[in-house]
Amino acid sequence: MKKFGIGCGVLALLGVIGLIIVIVVALLAGGGYNRMVALSQRVNSSWAQVQNVYQRRADLIPNLVATVSGSANFEKSTLTEITAARASVGQVKIDPNSSPTDPAKLAQFEQAQGALSSALSRLLVVSERYPDLKASAGFRDLQAQLEGTENRISVERGNFNQAVQDYNTAIKSFPTVFFAGRFGFTEKPYFTATTGADKPPQVQFDFNKK
Amino acid sequence: MKRFAVILLALFCLTAFAAEVMPPTPAKYFNDYAGVTAPATATQLNQRLEQFERDTSSQIVVAVFPKLQTDSSIEDYCVRVFNSWHVGQKDKNNGAVLFVFTQDRKMYLQTGYGLEGALPDALCKRIIEDEIKPSFKAGDFNAGLTAGVNAILAAAKGEYKGTGRTVADQHFAMPSGNDNLVPLIGMLFFVGIFISFFVLAASANRKGRRSGGRWHGWTIGSGSSSSGWSSGDSGWSGGGDSGGGFSGGGGSSGGGGAGGSW
Repeated sequence: MKKFGIGCGVLALLGVIGLIIVIVVALLAGGGYNRMVALSQRVNSSWAQVQNVYQRRADLIPNLVATVSGSANFEKSTLTEITAARASVGQVKIDPNSSPTDPAKLAQFEQAQGALSSALSRLLVVSERYPDLKASAGFRDLQAQLEGTENRISVERGNFNQAVQDYNTAIKSFPTVFFAGRFGFTEKPYFTATTGADKPPQVQFDFNKK
Repeated sequence: MKRFAVILLALFCLTAFAAEVMPPTPAKYFNDYAGVTAPATATQLNQRLEQFERDTSSQIVVAVFPKLQTDSSIEDYCVRVFNSWHVGQKDKNNGAVLFVFTQDRKMYLQTGYGLEGALPDALCKRIIEDEIKPSFKAGDFNAGLTAGVNAILAAAKGEYKGTGRTVADQHFAMPSGNDNLVPLIGMLFFVGIFISFFVLAASANRKGRRSGGRWHGWTIGSGSSSSGWSSGDSGWSGGGDSGGGFSGGGGSSGGGGAGGSW
């Protein structure tokens, strides 16, 4: 009777330990999964913010072109360059709601936006040569909006990269790395500093040619 | 953890390249670290900005530094300082900071996400160029900053409703220790219930052999122990006076605003 009781106790103890292990593993996996979902959502929301600020810039351009072209004999080449760059940005089809998983797609998007960035800053540099344009209140407002938008773009790109970094770290860390791929959590690409896009544009002032 | 690594890396980069100084969260709303304004103006503007947070919950901060201590651009630096100060309420992000760097003759009006509507970039630029710059050019910081604060408050006035208290006031009335105590009490309560169940089950097993009723004492005991914990929170409230201090509400900025130089 007593022996049977001890055997029963050992069995119960083993059962309890087994149950605890199962619960801990399930909690770890569940917690890891929920964490990955949360981080992935954060990447998507910061991607949406990135799209948002780039769209904001694209929306400013027609206004800018209209204001600038009103100025007497403004360089037409700069304006056509901007319009072309904006059109090519519109041609890169990319899902605004979920962040890209293909690095090539993100690179293509970045290249188009980078071309628009340099066209815009070239226009701002060229506009220095038109004092009447610079003095107009409309142009000053637009310039402030453009500068603010560029700042927003760099802030949101930074936030996006931070979110991607947290996510990528999480899916490659110890417990989650075993099942992250099985649930479809794959590594996401970062924004890179594109060659030339972050540098100030080189403008050749050729005053002899009009 | 990751953030910590990034901060370490950032610190390393900073020491490697140049000295960037991240100023700590200011103690007041109007902060003249360069000593260019009259004390009377500073006190008056500080009181107005504090009252503005009570009335509208928007946090407007002015910070006048002698020098821009970074190798980065002013707009990049200001947005990072803004976000390290957490200006604006957490759910509204309704903060704005007017940064002035007197030796560099540069300023930047940085807006939080929630004030981008009331203070769009073009308006920030206009405030800087038309309200502040003329006085600064004449060397009158008192007039320039007063005009700037007037314009900012006028623009941000109708955007949000206030609670009548600043974040600093709330910190005085209800310290953060209280927030942590509530879940602790809840947890203790459940642990108490859990233990009583075990004891109940154990004694129910022995009920056949011994006379029951022993476990009553246990449940009562665990109940009274949790109530003993909850009584502890009465001692925290009752802060003294809150003397016009600024305390960040948890807001952030996405890089909105405009800058200028004089």
